[in-house]
Amino acid sequence: MNRPASIRTAVEARLARRHRAERRFQFYGAAAICLAVAFLALLIGSILIQSVPAMTTWRMTLQVELDRAAIDPRGDMSEASLRRGGYNAAIQQALRDQFPDVEDRAELRELFGLYSSVNAARLLNRVVQDPSLVGGTVSFTFPIDDDADLYLKGVSVRESRAPGPAPVRIQAGEGRAVTLSAEARVFDAFVDDVREAARERARILEQRAERAEAALADAIDRDIRAIYEAEARRARAQAERLRDRLDEGAPVVIGPQIPSLLVQVDGAVIRVSDVSADRRSARGEMVISAPLGEAAHSDWTLWTIETPQAGRLISDRQIAWVDALRERGMTRSGFNTELFTYADSREPELAGVLGALIGSVLTMFVTMLLAVPIGVGAAIYLEEFAPKNRITQLIEVNINNLAAVPSIVFGLLGLAVFINTFGLPRSAPLVGGIVLALMTLPTVIISSRAALKAVPPSIREAALGVGASKTQAVFHHVLPLAAPGILTGSIIGLAQALGETAPLLMIGMVAFIADAPSLGLAGFTEPSTVMPVQIFLWSSAAERAFEARTAAAILVLLTLMVSLNAAAIYLRRRFERRW
Amino acid sequence: MQISVLVALTLLVLIAFGFLTGRRRALSVRAQGGPRLHSLPNYYGYYIALWTGGPALVLLAAYGAFGSGLVNTLAMSQLEREAAPLIAEFERQLDADAQIIALLEEAAEADADAMEAREAITRARDSGLDPQAFQGALAGHTTRLTEIGARLDQRRGEIARSVAARAPSSDAGIRARSGFEFWNSPRERRELFLADARAIAFGEGLASRNTPELRAAALAMRPVEDIFRWSVAALVLSMAVGGLAWGRSRVKASFRARNRVEAAISGLLMFASIIAILTTLGIVFSLLFESLRFFASIGWRVGDFLFGLQWSPQIAIRADQIGQSGAFGAAPLFAGTALITVIAMSVAVPVGLFSAIYMSEYASKRVRAVAKPILEVLAGVPTVVYGFFALLTVGPFLRDFALFLGYEDAVTQSALSAGLVMGVMIIPFVSSLSDDVINAVPQSLRDGAYAMGATKSETIRHVVLPAALPGIVGAVLLGVSRAIGETMIVVMAAGQGANLTANPLESVTTITVQIVTLLTGDQEFDSSKTLAAFALGLVLFVLTLMLNIIALRVVQRFRERYE
Amino acid sequence: MAYDAQPAPATVYHPAPAGMNIKVAASDLSVRYGGALALDRVAMDIPDRSVTACIGPSGCGKSTFLRCINRMNDTIETARVSGSIRIDGEEVNDRSIDPVLLRARVGMVFQKPNPFPKSIYENVAYGPRIHGLAASKDELDAIVETSLTKAGLWKEVADRLHQPGTSLSGGQQQRLVIARAIAVNPEVILMDEPCSALDPIATARIEELIDELRENYALIIVTHSMAQAARVSQMTAFFHLGALVEYGPTEEIFTNPRDQRTQDYITGRFG
Ligand SMILES: Nc1ncnc2c1ncn2[C@@H]1O[C@H](COP(=O)(O)OP(=O)(O)OP(=O)(O)O)[C@@H](O)[C@H]1O
Ligand SMILES: [Mg+2]
Repeated sequence: MNRPASIRTAVEARLARRHRAERRFQFYGAAAICLAVAFLALLIGSILIQSVPAMTTWRMTLQVELDRAAIDPRGDMSEASLRRGGYNAAIQQALRDQFPDVEDRAELRELFGLYSSVNAARLLNRVVQDPSLVGGTVSFTFPIDDDADLYLKGVSVRESRAPGPAPVRIQAGEGRAVTLSAEARVFDAFVDDVREAARERARILEQRAERAEAALADAIDRDIRAIYEAEARRARAQAERLRDRLDEGAPVVIGPQIPSLLVQVDGAVIRVSDVSADRRSARGEMVISAPLGEAAHSDWTLWTIETPQAGRLISDRQIAWVDALRERGMTRSGFNTELFTYADSREPELAGVLGALIGSVLTMFVTMLLAVPIGVGAAIYLEEFAPKNRITQLIEVNINNLAAVPSIVFGLLGLAVFINTFGLPRSAPLVGGIVLALMTLPTVIISSRAALKAVPPSIREAALGVGASKTQAVFHHVLPLAAPGILTGSIIGLAQALGETAPLLMIGMVAFIADAPSLGLAGFTEPSTVMPVQIFLWSSAAERAFEARTAAAILVLLTLMVSLNAAAIYLRRRFERRW
Repeated sequence: MQISVLVALTLLVLIAFGFLTGRRRALSVRAQGGPRLHSLPNYYGYYIALWTGGPALVLLAAYGAFGSGLVNTLAMSQLEREAAPLIAEFERQLDADAQIIALLEEAAEADADAMEAREAITRARDSGLDPQAFQGALAGHTTRLTEIGARLDQRRGEIARSVAARAPSSDAGIRARSGFEFWNSPRERRELFLADARAIAFGEGLASRNTPELRAAALAMRPVEDIFRWSVAALVLSMAVGGLAWGRSRVKASFRARNRVEAAISGLLMFASIIAILTTLGIVFSLLFESLRFFASIGWRVGDFLFGLQWSPQIAIRADQIGQSGAFGAAPLFAGTALITVIAMSVAVPVGLFSAIYMSEYASKRVRAVAKPILEVLAGVPTVVYGFFALLTVGPFLRDFALFLGYEDAVTQSALSAGLVMGVMIIPFVSSLSDDVINAVPQSLRDGAYAMGATKSETIRHVVLPAALPGIVGAVLLGVSRAIGETMIVVMAAGQGANLTANPLESVTTITVQIVTLLTGDQEFDSSKTLAAFALGLVLFVLTLMLNIIALRVVQRFRERYE
Repeated sequence: MAYDAQPAPATVYHPAPAGMNIKVAASDLSVRYGGALALDRVAMDIPDRSVTACIGPSGCGKSTFLRCINRMNDTIETARVSGSIRIDGEEVNDRSIDPVLLRARVGMVFQKPNPFPKSIYENVAYGPRIHGLAASKDELDAIVETSLTKAGLWKEVADRLHQPGTSLSGGQQQRLVIARAIAVNPEVILMDEPCSALDPIATARIEELIDELRENYALIIVTHSMAQAARVSQMTAFFHLGALVEYGPTEEIFTNPRDQRTQDYITGRFG
């Protein structure tokens, strides 16, 4: 056969292209890995960032006067009497003392909204433990309401302060109503901002209307046309209304949809309700009063709360009060220990993971007690004793399939069998532990078998050779050598179970449980929840403050899982043996 | 409680004593210079300890598991017997009560209306019309049904109270009232009633209420419980002593104690491995049983369940009252599951596969040492965490992005965000399985391609991947089964709407989401709604089981080919 | 390097028969796997259009030497090659040489037949396809047919070209991979114990084939069978512990070995 010199040229002609394809392919691979790593970084990063607000909490300290008559209604200082005392009223009074001019019922409710009455129970406990406090004044510190907390952290409310541009005169009216007036157009900036925002919003609305109209032109179906028509009409009308307000000649009435304006002057805080058309004067009411003379004040502050009231859960007044409390040094930010020392609560500031942690510990205890001995026993049987017949083959196939059964199915099993047939208690760590044990069993069996398999047959032969029985060979020689591997596999299985949620939902561990279960035998049958379920519950809670707490709880759970896995890796490294 | 602790302690002492006796006897036989012992002395000890402890412990465990249930049943059935006149009276009044009859009629009417509306919806859909109007009507009927149900319950409560009030406040009367209250409670209240009564009777935890009826029940329980406790204690101890004596009588020099003990041990081990089978059987039977009950409750219209287009399991009124009016057409759930699975796999397969390829063929040892654990971490993150991520980070981002692109109806909880995040969750799964498979392709095949002058990527694409294909298919199938069975991500991020849609920006619902929704409400166990969850569970189980079996087969074949 | 200071291992050279072109020339060729020296400063000239047999006890570095010629050692992370190896005077270890092109010019057949998980046709067509040697389907068909014919397999598989290559018998598979190697029309063919997995009849066929291929190619084969080396090769190289001990025309090596180790090995005293 002739040897064409062209082989080289033929190959070379395509070489550059082939190498480009090669580089492209390699790039895809690297990109895939980078993508996976980026996902993980994004996941962890976003959770870290979201958890930041939950790391600290603002607490309020009040000097609470424990009036003898109110705290000890029977007057005998017995525990029963002390337990009936009016602690909440005492705290309310202490708060009222700070803002003596709040009298209106609705306003008082707003004021007391700055803390949760659940805190009274803590004061009660303190007094019961130390009855000598009765009759005196105690300094009582408690977490402030979650909305106030978020405000103080600057998370939920946007605000800005500017010095008053020109002197303003303040005239007291009826009750706490006041009128502000100045020579210059002092409210110019505020009104301009409000108008600008309204204009922007109107523009967006009109755009939406246009889009709906465009879609209307394309739509054929009658019902769909109706939907688009309504949408366009609504947007147009809203925009119209906004544009009307933009009219230069009209006064600005501050409603819940537009930013609020507060005025701070000489220790007083005035909430402005409307600004006149000439932008020189405004009307409002004192939120925090102070004696203001007739003279013009040149040192005053325009305090704009840009987030409109409709967009936040803390009112203008509450903002003013919280701000005043901060000024007076009565609120302080600190590490959020409540997160670790309290069980769940409807009030975000009093919600912690302690209950779920204890629940997790109890559940894992049951899981470990069942899954490890049964799993290791099954592995020993299958690997060392079982005859190789159809039945053991069936067991093996069955275990492999069981490992891939969705976890929620185990929950259904738990519900149907353990709760409804055996009548075990719902929501209890006992049932949760059993269900998770069944779920982790395949993992434990498979990894234990791998560990047993890794022990070379020569060890068994040596043991059998010196006259040991099969059982002795396995328990005295093989098992100790396989123990590190078995342990590692078991820990990994437990870590998996620790993060499992779905099956526990099935057996009712989703209930709201405000008390941590007891860390004892009784705890196993008490209703409780576990870490991942707590995360699930918090993530669906409405309060914004739970968002950060959920992220923080996730960090706690991840820390637990990482330490478990680290223990497994350590064990593997420490005792790893290559044959 | 104390007595069971006492029994357990005595049992432990007896076991220890049994062990020592066995050992001592064996040693003394040896000391007397008798015939050679068959086994080591300890084995004789173990043997006797087994006979002492084994049967007694089994009995004790059985008592622990079923004892209190048995006591409750016995005590309460006695009280229920005493309440028979009250029950008869109640049923008589119930049948005669004009208000209830009227309500039942009304309910039947509303139920019929709801049925009609549902049919109208199906008809409208079939003929391509918009069913919205009928859906409104259906919602109206459903609320009406719910209201009627509430009124019915209320009226029943009134009658029950008036009947109970007739019983005298003597001891016997209160016992009858107690039995009547228990008889008349729905299932979950019965549990609470029993728990409270036990709390009062034996101080097990705290009672949530303390009424005369509960105290009567507690009083009725106490003697039964006492009889049980003492007889079980006596039985346990006599079994232990008997076992000890029996074991002791068999200890002779020639007795093969070790073999007996070892047989017991391997029996125990075998039992451990049978638990896996029992679990599977438990799953299959509980799912099948409850599903059959569900199908019975919807009149065996299994086809409607599997292919029906409407899923709206309404708040069911008690099954004994009126026919069920929920619509259990699960097709939208299957479609939602499929949509999310497709999205997830279209993320997980390319990324996972390419990661595996890069890891096994290109990456240096150092890169592998870093990247592999990272992928493993991705696999270890709990699914709630992924759900949270999807709900609060990915969902809002995708919605804003869609809005930015001009898609007005974007929602936070969409099939896309759940699918994407689920895909990320499955990446490590696909990649580690594919990695194994790719590594199992023999080096000689690669060498063959290199020796032909193939570049690395040509070798991988033309030789390694085709050779690994069965294994990769297996890995992907296992990934699909994961995706189908995944719960938390979809529960948190996919929304609830049972939409029959292929639009990934809409919210959809899946099999697992509906199982959770149906079972986490305040339902009693027997309503069609909770039973429907088991039917869905059965579908899920069968689906994933088939996928797993196929996948494991395929992978097995692949391994056999190259090992 | 430390071993530079040591004297190069003495190799006994027999004069090569006159009139042979040198195809492959190695000099000072060493290979290390991690720390272990697998090939120690080998120097030899391999003639064109002839069969050169490499013999030696297991682990002496024969495969390693072979894998140097088409740079297959690149695929082993720990392997370090130093020294020079030239094909037609062109340095193989040079950075500018693309292993892809090199391997197109130097075919290789392995000890265990390793057909790709593709059809018989695709196996043979693989090389021409990736290198773009055939302009049309007909041309490719022709290449496949000639290669299979040359490998002596055409008659057996002509009617089952589209069955998987793995469905053939071991001997057929080995001829299939030889056909695959010659389909790109290489200049040198390396064979690493091509017959060790085969029965005597299949071995005989392969040996026949090798003899035919000698017409066109330079063949280098590794074998553990003295008889085979004597039957098919014109030149023989004896390796021992990574060093080339003796090299020359086969007849002379087998009839008149000059090194004691060679003598011991071919008379079966060790190895
Ligand atoms: N990939 C590798 N990594 C590390 N060492 C290797 C590798 N391949 C071969 N070796 C070592 O290099 C030396 C030579 O190996 P080589 O495969 O070349 O021997 P051989 O002569 O072909 O033996 P055989 O006749 O058994 O095939 C041996 O000691 C072997 O252990
Ligand atoms: Mg070799």
